Amino acid sequence: MTLADDSAPPTISLREPAHRVSSRAPSYWRATSAIGDLVFLVAGVVLFVFLPVRPWWAITIFVVLLLLALLQTAVMPVIRYRVHRWEVSPIAVHTRSGWIGRHTRIAPINRVQTVDSRQGAIMRLFGLATLTVTTASAAGPITIDCLDADTARDLVAQLTEITAATEGDAT
Amino acid sequence: MTPDPAPVDTPAEVPAQDQVDVQVEELPVAPLDGDGWSRLDARKLLLDPVRTLKEFLFPGLIAIFGVSQSNMTYWPLIIPLAILAPIALGTIPWLTTYFRITDSQVQLRTGLLNKRSSTAPLDRVRSVDLEASLLHRILGLEKVQIGTGVDDDRITLDALAREDARQLRTTLLHRARPTATATAEDVDATVGTIDPDVGPGVGPAGGTGHEASTELASINWSWLRFAPFSLGRLVLLAGAIGVLSQFGDNLPIFSEDSVASAWHWIGRFALTMVILVAVLSGLALWIVVAVVGYVIQWWNFRLVRERDSLHLTYGLFTTRSISVEEAKVRGVQITEPALLRIVGGAGLATLATGVEDGVTEVLPPCPRPVAVSVGEQILRSREPLTQALVHHGFRARRRAYFAQIRLALVWPIAAAVAVWQSWISLSWLVAVTVVALALAAVLAESTYRHLGHTLTDGHLVAGSGTLARIRTVLETDGIIGWVFAQSWWQRRGRLTDLVATTAAGSERVIIHDVPLATAVALANAATPGLLTGFLDAP
Repeated sequence: MTLADDSAPPTISLREPAHRVSSRAPSYWRATSAIGDLVFLVAGVVLFVFLPVRPWWAITIFVVLLLLALLQTAVMPVIRYRVHRWEVSPIAVHTRSGWIGRHTRIAPINRVQTVDSRQGAIMRLFGLATLTVTTASAAGPITIDCLDADTARDLVAQLTEITAATEGDAT
Repeated sequence: MTPDPAPVDTPAEVPAQDQVDVQVEELPVAPLDGDGWSRLDARKLLLDPVRTLKEFLFPGLIAIFGVSQSNMTYWPLIIPLAILAPIALGTIPWLTTYFRITDSQVQLRTGLLNKRSSTAPLDRVRSVDLEASLLHRILGLEKVQIGTGVDDDRITLDALAREDARQLRTTLLHRARPTATATAEDVDATVGTIDPDVGPGVGPAGGTGHEASTELASINWSWLRFAPFSLGRLVLLAGAIGVLSQFGDNLPIFSEDSVASAWHWIGRFALTMVILVAVLSGLALWIVVAVVGYVIQWWNFRLVRERDSLHLTYGLFTTRSISVEEAKVRGVQITEPALLRIVGGAGLATLATGVEDGVTEVLPPCPRPVAVSVGEQILRSREPLTQALVHHGFRARRRAYFAQIRLALVWPIAAAVAVWQSWISLSWLVAVTVVALALAAVLAESTYRHLGHTLTDGHLVAGSGTLARIRTVLETDGIIGWVFAQSWWQRRGRLTDLVATTAAGSERVIIHDVPLATAVALANAATPGLLTGFLDAP
């Protein structure tokens, strides 16, 4: 039995993708997360006011959850901004995402089927856009969260141009 | 073969022009006599009413009983209605469905109020499956399903006469071939240049143009010995027992008195004896169900390679005939469920694109060497199926143990709660904990043993499974991306789940808990050049 991690030196490793996402992304993540916290808080207060019984353990659980949510709002955007990175080379799209876990995705440009960008209402306020690249595999869509809207637009144009030039049915 | 536009000989009904919807009008006009639109086989008129009648039977009976209890006067009205309505409804599909084969497309129009039209370019046809239920077979009909390269819905022609269906399949698969290598994305560019007389193109699988059909496998009834060891039909048996127990309430033997007296009766006999008999009769029942099920499903099973397509036929009552273009078969999967493995059996499936669910069982449970040799013929390479897997090392094993123990902890915790509530004694808690942990250890070790990967010339191999041993082989050409997915715990252990994304099979092949460096090296070796720009120089 070969133990892969002990055998010969496959010391090559994946470097991180070249570019960070927009510097406004952390504010956006913090804002959306804070909105979530607020909804949670309001729901809790409403329940507290209108319910006839207020057991101490339910209140404790609620407070703990609220503190955790606030902690996430404080910490997550910072970590996420450090983790989220992207790069488009002539050969492939390479992204890294996540904050507790990590997802590194690589898809060859010549297998890309669609490129589209999305911009939600709050995203628009921050001037951000999300880019999604799909391949023929349902498991393979690559999403770059929170790019500069301008960068996203340029990237869509660039990727569309490249993919239009490729042949085959990309399966 | 001549480019026969409408292989079906049913009278070509030309629909009134105003029925033609927009999408159809945009289609290229085919140089065919009478536009070439055909109806489905007229015998469908017998098929559908029976089917609708079957659907109406239950609600119909309920309605009739409901009415009959209140008032008898409506009977003369209801009975004819109950019989005529299904027949009338059943004729609608036949009256409203038309299809045709043009030089470039298969077109289907259907629907009375909601008109639907589907088209598929001929050179994108990847699979043509025939299916016939018992009723279809009595009437000499086949249901035809045409699959294109993409996984979305397929074109279904239900039903055609058997000979027509077979001829249609030959035509479609034969026409699809010249562009099977699909260098031209644009359909229009290839229209008119397809010469049906051109022989089979060179498939990416290294096809040598198999004009003659080669049989890869056919049913061997000594394989019946594996039937009781594959538990797929156990669900069926459980369902049947469930249904029976529904009726059980009405049986005289199940009244409360009889149950009580039966309990006394049991008490007088040795309990072990009763349990033994119950287990033995259950086992006997299971063997009968399994064997009969196996025979019904795999009757007349044949797997044939013909003109660079794989043809699979089987079934006693409902016959199925599945054809997949070999170029679209991107890999195979050998599955050895725990029980089956003890007796040396295995199952084989292909991973293909453009097939309904991607993973197609191509062999019944059979001896492992048979599965391997058929797999070898499909892949045209033996190495991926026999080469030893590279195991993932100490940290992967530790993770397997942690995962199983975490799952198993539920039982000791439940037992602890029970002890706390003094429902059970402390010794029970100890016993439950020991058994749960021992089982977890067995499962974890088995998971780790099955885990592994290897790379051969042209194929990525992944080993997985907890109780079953599963070996998934994927053509490296079929890999259209990589995902390295790490949870927080995996990052601590410098492990990663390596996912090869693909259009074939279940869309992904996952290799769990690979050491990170190995995963990068593996991905780099499997798809040379793809990762090059993203690697740190050592």
